[in-house]
Amino acid sequence: MASEYLKTKRILLVDDEPELLDMVGSILTEGGFERIKTAGSVKEAIAAAEEFYPELAILDVMLPDGSGFSLMKELRDSGDYPILFLTARGEEEDKFKGFGLGADDYMVKPFSPKELLYRIMAILRRCYKEEDSLVKLCHSEIDFARAEVVKGGKSIPLTAKEHALLLALYRNAGRIVSIDALCEAAWGENPFGYENSLMAHIRRIREKIEQNPSRPVSLLTVKGLGYKLMVEGD
Amino acid sequence: MNSIPKLIRRFVGIWLLSSFLLIVLNFVMLVIVALKQSPNGTPWKAAEQAAAALKRTEKGYVLSGPVSDELKSHHVWAIFIEDATHQVVWHTDHLPDSVPLKFSLSDVADLTRGYIDGYPTFTGKLEQGLMVLGYPKDSFWKHMWPSWDYQFIANLPKMILFLLSINVALIFLIYMIANSRLLKSVRPIANGIQALPTGKPVYIRERGLLSELSVNINRTSEVLQSQNDQLRKKETARANWIAGVSHDIRTPLSMVMGYAEQLKNDSGLPDSVQKKAMVIYQQSQRMSNLIRDLNLASKLEYNMQPVKQKRENAVALVRQVVVDFMNTDIEKKYPMEWETEDTLSSCFVNADRDLLKRAVSNLIQNCINHNENGCTVYVSVQSTEKSCNICVEDDGIGISEAERKALNTAPHYMVCDTNTTGQRHGLGLKIVKQIAASHGGKTLVEHSSHGGLAVKMILPRLQ
Repeated sequence: MASEYLKTKRILLVDDEPELLDMVGSILTEGGFERIKTAGSVKEAIAAAEEFYPELAILDVMLPDGSGFSLMKELRDSGDYPILFLTARGEEEDKFKGFGLGADDYMVKPFSPKELLYRIMAILRRCYKEEDSLVKLCHSEIDFARAEVVKGGKSIPLTAKEHALLLALYRNAGRIVSIDALCEAAWGENPFGYENSLMAHIRRIREKIEQNPSRPVSLLTVKGLGYKLMVEGD
Repeated sequence: MNSIPKLIRRFVGIWLLSSFLLIVLNFVMLVIVALKQSPNGTPWKAAEQAAAALKRTEKGYVLSGPVSDELKSHHVWAIFIEDATHQVVWHTDHLPDSVPLKFSLSDVADLTRGYIDGYPTFTGKLEQGLMVLGYPKDSFWKHMWPSWDYQFIANLPKMILFLLSINVALIFLIYMIANSRLLKSVRPIANGIQALPTGKPVYIRERGLLSELSVNINRTSEVLQSQNDQLRKKETARANWIAGVSHDIRTPLSMVMGYAEQLKNDSGLPDSVQKKAMVIYQQSQRMSNLIRDLNLASKLEYNMQPVKQKRENAVALVRQVVVDFMNTDIEKKYPMEWETEDTLSSCFVNADRDLLKRAVSNLIQNCINHNENGCTVYVSVQSTEKSCNICVEDDGIGISEAERKALNTAPHYMVCDTNTTGQRHGLGLKIVKQIAASHGGKTLVEHSSHGGLAVKMILPRLQ
């Protein structure tokens, strides 16, 4: 997937354990991120944010001189960038508190490095859309900005629902998106009874993006469960 | 509170019985008194008899012996007044002096109405005159004739009935007052005793007939409360301890996990080292699951996890869990099959979304944990009339019948104190059981038709 530009984003890591900072730093470095800054306390984090201009912050909830939640508020005052919590506190209330204050994601330690990278990429992709948002598929390209598909030099417009469905699939490219999550993306919360409409929309999308809609290679069905969008170059 | 109506029934029964007995007693006493009266006979009859017994002879009038004796024995005097002369022509020996020997017509009228000089008199008719019997003074209640008001006599049955009902009502009132006081003092005690097992604090006012009982119930409640408090404190301490430990383990464990994963993917390392890193990674993941489960299990055990139940579509929820697993299983070692009927797109249950997801993912994780060589996991949701069944099966190694029975009946991990030295299974299934129970459902462990293990969660279905 054409997401290399996301790897250039500046990431601020805040945790009171230096070893953990080292490890997360090394995970991010191995994942391809280059601009990483670490901080061990609220004070350091605020100071770092002032000169580093992070584009994503990964915060611990418990810091020696304050809570991660209040740090998030302060960071949000100086800039609008996504925030992911990484904490040893797994209590449900903490989770809701984090989301309630506007955290973009929340991970409980211990976490899998792969999962962390995936979530970071998902947040970044959501927040920093590529200017030239062209997604390459096997037989076509999707231009999300112009809501159209380019197949064989011809551009085919996408309807609003098709656009929403493709976007949800693209954000989870290579992964299965459940029927219910797709219905929610297209019809809003608590979708119910839209399965047949969804199938009709998927058929129409396939007609637009696939060479042979009855033998799809880009938009795959996972029987009974959902759909998966395969993107070229990932 | 079944005892109160019973009590009332019993009191009413006693009241009815005592009323009935009282009436019977009254009647019997009346009969006895009346019988006692009858030997005297009625004085009118005696006067008739005396009149009949008076015979005219040559020597004048003579009263036959037995009647005369009878009169004498009762201290009754008698006179005979002749029609023609209004003179007393015969009298008994012991005639009081105050009785006149000549009677005018008005005197006769007077005596027939009752008295001569305070002596109650009764008359018997003869051909030639009038027989008068004089009873001793004060032997009869004196009243004038005709004495009884007609209406009074006519209404007498009604009157008696009325009086009787007043009697009965009075008894009822007495009973009511007596019993209601008793009931009043019994009721708070009964309520208190009923409230004791609920574990709520009980306080009864220590007054009234049964105040001693109240005092003891209050004391019992206090003892129970303090015991409960202590127990709760201990449970909280235990749960907090588990939460604390698991919290402190999380950060070091993330480092173990993080570096192990980096090492296992480091192509610069020899294969054998990568494999070792792989084992470290897998084991750290197991520890991670254990900590997660331990914390939740202890919270569920002590009811500390708030269960926020909402109407949820079980099909969508289970589907999401399956999709999440498929998305993370990169090696495709554990393929998953969705076996829910295509037509079933919803099956609503009242559930805590996170907990139910956790239960399903624990079941799937169990299949993975117990089949290291890989297996296919089959997940399905079935909707029956009353329940929503979530079934997770695999075609892996499965379990023996004895193990299956043990899993179905095993007590909870934390209360199980036997066999602690043996190999323990993880908490995964226990948590599933706890979650199912907290949603009013149950869990069944079965042999799968696919060859491995099948675990079914049966939850009550909405609508």
